[in-house]
Amino acid sequence: MSTSTLPVSPTTGEPITTIARRARLGLWLLIVADVAGTIALVISYSYLWSLNVNGGWAPPGATLTANQTNSTLPTTPSTATFAVEWPFWAILFVVVVATALMWFGYRSARSGNHAGLMVGAGLSFLVTVAALIFQWIQMSTFPFDAGDGAYASAVLLLCASNIFHLFLLLFIGMGIFMRARKGLIDKTNWYQAQLLSYYMTWVCIAFLLGAILTTFMVESPNTDPAIFGTFKQQ
Amino acid sequence: MSVDTAVETKTVFGAEVPQPPQHGAAGGVMRGLNFGTGLIGGIGLAAVAGWVTAILTPSSASNASFAPMEPTYVYLAVLLGWVVGFMLGMGAFVGPLRWVVGRDITHADAEYMAGKDLGRKRYWKYTTDHKVVGIQYLVVTLFILGFAGLLAMLIRTELGMTWTSLFTPSFYNSMIGTHGIAMIIGMIVVISGPLGNFIVPMMIGARDMAYPRLNALSVWLLVAAVPMLVSSMFMGGIQDGWSVYQPLASQAPVGMLGYQMTIIIFAISTAIASVNLMTTILTMRAKGMTWSRTPIFVYGIFAASVMGLYAFPFFQYAQILGLTDRVFSTSFFDPLNGGSVWLYENLFWLLGHPEVYVILIPSMAVALELMPVFLRKPLFSFNFAVAGIVGVVALSGLVWAHHMYMTGWAPAANYPFMLSTEMISIPVGFLVLVAIGTFWRGTAWTRLPLMAVYAVIFNKMIGGVTGVYLSDVPADQYFHGSMFVVAHFHFMLMGAGLFGAMAGIAFFFPKMTGRILDERVGSIGLWTAFIGFQITFISMFVAGLQGQPRRVLDFDDQFNLSNWISTIGAYIIGIGMLIFLSAIITSWRSGVIASSNPWGSKSLEWQTETPVPLENFPVLPVVTERPYNYGVPDPYEAELESIDEDLTEKAGTK
Amino acid sequence: MSADTLIPEEPEAPTNRPPSMERVRSWLQRPYARKILILTVVIGFLLLPLAWLLLAAMNQTGAPASEIMKDIEQTVFVFTLVSIPITAFVFAVLVYSLIGWRQISGDEPPMQDSPAIRTNTIGVILWTVASSLLAMFLVVWGLVELAQITANSYGSISADEQPGQKSSEIINVTGQQWVWTFEYPEHNGLTSDILYLPLDRPVYFNVTSKDVIHNFWAVELGVKIDANPGAITQTGVTANKLGTFNVRCAELCGMHHAFMQTQIQVLEQDAFDSWVRESGGKKTS
Ligand SMILES: [Cu+2]
Repeated sequence: MSTSTLPVSPTTGEPITTIARRARLGLWLLIVADVAGTIALVISYSYLWSLNVNGGWAPPGATLTANQTNSTLPTTPSTATFAVEWPFWAILFVVVVATALMWFGYRSARSGNHAGLMVGAGLSFLVTVAALIFQWIQMSTFPFDAGDGAYASAVLLLCASNIFHLFLLLFIGMGIFMRARKGLIDKTNWYQAQLLSYYMTWVCIAFLLGAILTTFMVESPNTDPAIFGTFKQQ
Repeated sequence: MSVDTAVETKTVFGAEVPQPPQHGAAGGVMRGLNFGTGLIGGIGLAAVAGWVTAILTPSSASNASFAPMEPTYVYLAVLLGWVVGFMLGMGAFVGPLRWVVGRDITHADAEYMAGKDLGRKRYWKYTTDHKVVGIQYLVVTLFILGFAGLLAMLIRTELGMTWTSLFTPSFYNSMIGTHGIAMIIGMIVVISGPLGNFIVPMMIGARDMAYPRLNALSVWLLVAAVPMLVSSMFMGGIQDGWSVYQPLASQAPVGMLGYQMTIIIFAISTAIASVNLMTTILTMRAKGMTWSRTPIFVYGIFAASVMGLYAFPFFQYAQILGLTDRVFSTSFFDPLNGGSVWLYENLFWLLGHPEVYVILIPSMAVALELMPVFLRKPLFSFNFAVAGIVGVVALSGLVWAHHMYMTGWAPAANYPFMLSTEMISIPVGFLVLVAIGTFWRGTAWTRLPLMAVYAVIFNKMIGGVTGVYLSDVPADQYFHGSMFVVAHFHFMLMGAGLFGAMAGIAFFFPKMTGRILDERVGSIGLWTAFIGFQITFISMFVAGLQGQPRRVLDFDDQFNLSNWISTIGAYIIGIGMLIFLSAIITSWRSGVIASSNPWGSKSLEWQTETPVPLENFPVLPVVTERPYNYGVPDPYEAELESIDEDLTEKAGTK
Repeated sequence: MSADTLIPEEPEAPTNRPPSMERVRSWLQRPYARKILILTVVIGFLLLPLAWLLLAAMNQTGAPASEIMKDIEQTVFVFTLVSIPITAFVFAVLVYSLIGWRQISGDEPPMQDSPAIRTNTIGVILWTVASSLLAMFLVVWGLVELAQITANSYGSISADEQPGQKSSEIINVTGQQWVWTFEYPEHNGLTSDILYLPLDRPVYFNVTSKDVIHNFWAVELGVKIDANPGAITQTGVTANKLGTFNVRCAELCGMHHAFMQTQIQVLEQDAFDSWVRESGGKKTS
C-alpha cells in the first residue's frame, strides 16, 4: 500500500504494529513449548545413551546373550550399527541456507525491496523442500530399523522431529510466498515474514542439537550394564 | 498493488478501517459448518481411515511378541481420522488455508465467526468469541468431571464390597486409570478454561482474547480428545493408572493408544490456550492497569499458563515415545533393548508436578479474588499473594523427582529434591497468609462462593500438612505408593482444587449465565459433598497409615473398616455433587435473573451489562485505582494513633 | 497490631515501656485477639492426640520392626507436632471469622464495609519468619534422618568390618508378575518365596524385576524400593523384632498387583540357620 498512513487490522481496527508486537510475543511463547519438547528428545537421547540399559543402546552387529532371552518378553536379535554423521550436518547446512534466504527476504520486505522478498521467500521455500527430501532419504537409508535398540529409536525420533519442523516451515513458507506475491507483505506490513525468520532460526538450533547429539554421543560410556532380570553385569 | 483504489472500508469501533475484498457472504464456508458437520467429518474420516488401514495391513504383521499389529494400526488410524475429520468438519483449517492463499478475513467474516446474531447456534460452532468459548469449556469440563466421578463411584463400590468382586482385575485397573487421567484433564481446565476464557479478558478490560481463532481451536481440540479417551475404555482400557508407567503400559491392550492420542492432542490444546491467555494478559490489559492494579485471579491464570506451557511438552513427548514403542517397535521404554523406565518417569513427572500447581494456583487465585468482595475489605497483602504465586511457579520445575524418591534412579538426588520440595511450602504459605489476613476482622457476607472458600482453606491445610510427610524422604519410604498418597492428593486436587472451582463457578455464574446460582440447593450440595469428602479421605488416610497400597482391588481384612467408611463417604460426595450439579442446571435454565453486578464488586468484569455484549465494553475502560478498593478506615488505627499521641504528650509534659 | 509507619520518632520517650510494647498490649486488649489465641490453643490440644493416633494406625501389624521404621515413625510424630500450631491457628481464624467477627446474609451486598487492612507489617514478618523457620526445620530434620536411614540400609555392608558385628546377609529380590522371589546367593543360591530374615543382622537387598516395575515394600520394616526391569536397586535393613510381617507390591504392576504380597519371617539366628539347612542351603559362616 502506497498510502503513508499506518495499516490497521481489518478486523479489530488496531494498528498493525500492535498486532505485530502481539504476534511476536505469541511466537516466542510457542517457541518455548517447542523448546521444551525438543529438550524432552535431547533428554531421552542422552539419558538412554548414558544408561545403556541391558547393553541395548546400540550393540553393533551383536546378538543377545542367553541370559537376555531368558525373560518373559521375547525379543529379536539386534544387528544395529551406528548412523553416518555427516548427513546430519549436511541437512543442518541446507536448513541454515533456507533460513538465511528467509532472513534476506524479510529484510528486503522491510526496506521495500519487493523483488528481494519474492526471491528470498521463494528460494527459501525451495531449499526447505530440498531439506525435507534430504531428511527423508537419510531416514530411509539408516543402517538400522526402529526395532534395533535405543540408539536407533532415539536417532529416528530426532529425524522425525526434524521432518515435523520442516513440514511446518513448508506450510508457513508457502503462505509467506503466496502472500508476498499478492502484495500482502510489504514495507509497512512485514511482521509475518519476520515471524517465519525467527521461527526458522529456532528450527536451525533444534537441528544443530540433533547433529551434536548424533556426532558426539555415540558409544555409550556405560560398558558394564546389568543384565536384564539378573544380578549380573555384562 | 493498486488495490487501494477499490478498497472498501468499514467502521470498526468508530474508525474507518480498510477491508480486504469480501468473497461471498460473511463467514464464507464457515456458514455451513458446525458441530454436526464436525461429527460427520470425524466419524466419516475415522471410518475411512480405519477401513483403508485394515485393507492395507498384511494379516501377518506382528510385533516382537508375535501379537498381531492390525488392531493397533487400525485403532490409531481411526483416532487420527477422527481428530483430523472432526477439526476439518468444524472448520478449523479454514482460517490457516485462507491465510496461505492470501484471502484475508474481513470484519464481516470476523463478526460472523464471533457468533454475531447467531443466537444459540453459536455454541455449536467454531466460534471465536471468548465468552462462547468459556461456556463451551464449562460444559465440556462438567462432562469430563461427571464421567470421571462416575468411575470414582464404581471404584469405591468395588473397594467397599470387600466380600466379593464386582469387576475383573483388568476392568478395575482400567477404571482407576481412566478415572485418574480424566479427573486430571478436567481439573486442569476447570478454572483456566471456563473462567480463564470468559472472565479474564473482561477482568483486564479487553474486547476478546489475543488470538480468537486459536481460542476456538483449543476448546474444540479438547472436545476432540474426549471421545478418544472414552473410546479407550472399550478397547481394553488404560490398565496402568493415570501415570501409565512403562513398560507396564506397553503390555496394555490397544486402548492405551486412546490415552496416548488424548494426551498428545490435549497437550496441543493446552499449549495453544496457554499462549493465548499469556499474550492476552501481557498485551491487552486496559489503560492504567499496571501490574499492581491487576487482579490476583489474572496472576493465577497467568501462572497456570506459564507452567502448562513449559511442562506439557514433556508429557506429550513421553506419550509420543510410548506410541512409537507400541506402533513402530522403537525401544525408548523397553529395558530389553536399551530403553529405560526411569526415562519415562522423569519425562512424566517433569509435567506431573507442575501440573499439580496448574490445578491448585487458579483455584487459590479464584478464592483470593472473591474473598474481598464478600468480606468488603481489600485483599490482605497483595504483594505477598503475588510473591506466593511467583514463588510456586519458580520452584514448580525443580521438584518433579520427589515422586521418584523410591525408584532408586538416583539416591543422591533425593537430598536436593527434598530441599526444593519443602521450600515450596513457603510460597504456598504466603497464599494461606493472604487468605487468613483477608478473613481477619472482615464482616463475612456468607453467600455460597465465600462459604466454599472456607472449605478450600480447610482442605488445603490438611492437604498441605500431609504433603509435608510425603515431601520427606524417610516418611515417604513408608507412605509412597500407599493410600495415604491417594488421600493427600485428593485433599489437594479435589478438596482445594475442585471446591475452589465450585466457588469460582458460583461466583461468576451470574455474569456467565445471567442468573443467580440457587443458593439453598447449591449450599446443600456443597456441604454434603464437603462432609462426604472428609469421611472418604480421612479414613483413606487411615488405610494408608495401616499400610494399604494404592491401586489394589483386594486387600487384607485389616483394611476393611476404613474402606467401608471411605465408600460410604464417597456416596455422600456423589449425592452432594449431583445436588450441586442440579443447582447449576436448574439455575441456568430458570434461576433468578441477575443484575449486572449482584455482588457489588468493583472489578471490571462486573461493570459491563449482563448478558455481556459481543464486544464486552462499548468504550474501553481506564483503570485508575488498585483492585479491591473496599473497606472503611480501621477504627483501631485511630485508637493506636491516640496511644501514640498520649505517649507524645506525656513525653512533652515531663 | 498496626502499620509500623505510625510509630512516632520519639527517642526520649520516658515511659518504662517502649511504644511497640504499648501497641502489643493494646492489641491484646482487643476483644478478638485473646479469643483467637485461646481458640488456637483449644484446637491445638484437640489436634494433639493425632500425633499418637497416626503411629497407632501404623503400628497395627507389629511395626516398628527395625531401626529404620523407628526413624520413620519418629519423623511422622515430630512433623505432626510441629504442624499442629500453624494448623490450629488457621482453623481458629476460619472458625472465628464465622462466629466471632460479624457475619451477615441476605441478597444484597452489605451496606457497611469492613476495615480496610491492606497489610500488616508485623503480622507478615511474623508469618514469613515462622514459616521459613518451620521449613528450615523440616529440611534439616529430613536431611539428617535421610542420612541416618541411608547409613542404616546401604551402610550395613561396611558395618560388618567393625569388630563384634555379625556379618551381613545379602538377599537378591526379584519382582515378577505377580510373585516375589528371594535368593540367598551366600547359601548356594537358595531361593524362597517367603522372606526369611535373621534377627539383629544387617541384610542387604539387591532388587530387580523381570518384567514391569514393582515396588518391594517390607511394610513393618520401613523398607521400600522399586524393582525396575533393566536396573538393580539397593537397600538394606536390620530387623530387630521377631515375628511375621508383610511384603506388598507398592507399584501398580498389572492384573494381579493386589495379590503380589508375601510374608516376612524374622527368625533367631539359630532358627534361621536351621531353615537354611533344611531348605538345602549352606550354613552361614
Ligand atoms: Cu508388582
